[in-house]
Amino acid sequence: MMSNANMIEVSNLTRTYKTKSGGVIKAVDKVNLQVSEGEFLTILGPSGSGKTTLLNLIGGLDKPSSGRIVLDGLEFSKLCDGDLVNVRREKVGFVFQAFNLIPTFTALENVEAALVPTNMPKDERLQRSSKLLEMMGLSERANHLPSELSAGEQQRVAIARAFANKPRVLLLDEPTGNLDTKTGKEILQLCHQVSKTQGQTVVAVTHATYVKDITNRVLYMRDGKLYTEIPQGEAVQ
Amino acid sequence: MNIVGFVIAISTLITLVMAARGWETCTSVPLNDIGTDIIFIYNAPVKPLNTGCYIANHLFAYPFNQTLLAEIEQVPNVECAVPILMHRLRAMVFTGIDPTQTITNAVKPSDVIEGRYLKADDEYVALVDKEYASLNNLTLGSTVSYAANYTVVGIVEVSATNLIKSHIYVNLPIVQQVLPEKPIGFVNMGLIRTTSPSNVKQVSEALKEQWPDSSTLTGLDLAETAFGVIRIGEETAWGISLALAVITVLFAVKSQLGNVGERTKEIGILKAIGWSNKNVVNQIVVESLIQGVIGGVIGCCLGLVFGSIALSTIGGEIGGALSLVPFDPVLIAVGFVIALVSAVVAGLFSSLRAARLVPVEAIRTT
Repeated sequence: MMSNANMIEVSNLTRTYKTKSGGVIKAVDKVNLQVSEGEFLTILGPSGSGKTTLLNLIGGLDKPSSGRIVLDGLEFSKLCDGDLVNVRREKVGFVFQAFNLIPTFTALENVEAALVPTNMPKDERLQRSSKLLEMMGLSERANHLPSELSAGEQQRVAIARAFANKPRVLLLDEPTGNLDTKTGKEILQLCHQVSKTQGQTVVAVTHATYVKDITNRVLYMRDGKLYTEIPQGEAVQ
Repeated sequence: MNIVGFVIAISTLITLVMAARGWETCTSVPLNDIGTDIIFIYNAPVKPLNTGCYIANHLFAYPFNQTLLAEIEQVPNVECAVPILMHRLRAMVFTGIDPTQTITNAVKPSDVIEGRYLKADDEYVALVDKEYASLNNLTLGSTVSYAANYTVVGIVEVSATNLIKSHIYVNLPIVQQVLPEKPIGFVNMGLIRTTSPSNVKQVSEALKEQWPDSSTLTGLDLAETAFGVIRIGEETAWGISLALAVITVLFAVKSQLGNVGERTKEIGILKAIGWSNKNVVNQIVVESLIQGVIGGVIGCCLGLVFGSIALSTIGGEIGGALSLVPFDPVLIAVGFVIALVSAVVAGLFSSLRAARLVPVEAIRTT
């Protein structure tokens, strides 16, 4: 259920990188964005448009060159590194395109890894991780290594891990990028259902247009800027 | 790789120290048995024919004037110099002793297992070795012969490690009278006891300086001559081992740094999902510690096995060094602690580097 309160507020957000030749690239260029609590927002855009950089900034993985980010009332510029770790641990759940599972951990251990930094007892951690894998339909695969899982199964483990700490915000970075259309749809539906049940805010960046079926709002990104309409000359597949 | 490094370092440490201790035991036991620190002799280059020979341990030794021992007693740090005249004819060894010397002597009252020890005024009576008595059916009151006849008054059992073990022991003046050369007033060995074991080297050098033609045999000399084993002191063993420990730490740090490098992406992922620097440091240190524990345990076990093999090699020559070197839990504990400390140092060093990784950059690595 969406509320009127903003879960995410981004103002004049800019992230620049210096190139080896001494030039400057604006990966994110004066972006303004508000995402309501419980909203499912999708950002579409081609590779190199700055979608992932924006997501990393919103998730506290990267620091902006300028601008302001407020997530669940916390203004990032006023937080120290330790507080940003707490934001990543307690407020944000990430799902990456490349799954980013620990190859030497089983599916269960990968999910549990997100709970290790909390004060949750081991038994409780395992119980919660098992439950999440069950929600993802992976009970039978809990003790398998990522290399023993299909791409879809790996992404579902990554989603279970993202939900482990009951985050307020779920950030999906090309969650279907490595999956076929059918599996991609299933994964997005899964994210949608779980986040809806738990009242989580979701920001997804993707190429997949079928995400329009489940999302509340779609924005477009090109050359570091956000648009409400498809920018001229942009082809969205 | 770290575990292998720990295993090599710790097992080498324990093996070297055990071997060094075994060596020290081996070299001290033979002379301890006869309560002496140095054997003073004049080496004889060739064996005399037919009439037997004067020997000291396995060496031929010229008789020298017994009064020399009184002069030796004047050398600083010499506590006493005890006369021995040892003679061998074919396989028989016959030794003259001064029975008033009960601390330092070829045979001591404590070696008597049957009958009595010699008295200063005894004449044609003898102590015989237990094995010799058994082989020749000798009992108390039997007669034994070597240049003359003697009545057996005592049967003795001396340690197999006693370097001047004989078949028959008789009062020195009688031996000097009955031997064919009649070496009255002569002995061929002085058993020298120093005021402290730490003075052995200094006394030995002083004796060689004052009597240049003489030879002095210390425990180390004897063991080296007799057993031909490479000598290594405990301090040297510890030195080598500690140097090895330092190399182990450096190796472990390098290996762990490599490990962190290989796991950059993994560390980035963990930081992205909310692991703090402290969590990352703990994880890497604990992993390193586990490697240290496994390496330490295997290293200690292998060290004990290799150390025992080294001891039995040394001990096999001298007979029983293995049983003379007690199991030392402190040595095992030190080995284990070195493995743990190395592991913690390596873990800490590399984990601090891991903690500095920026998650978004770390995740991008392949």
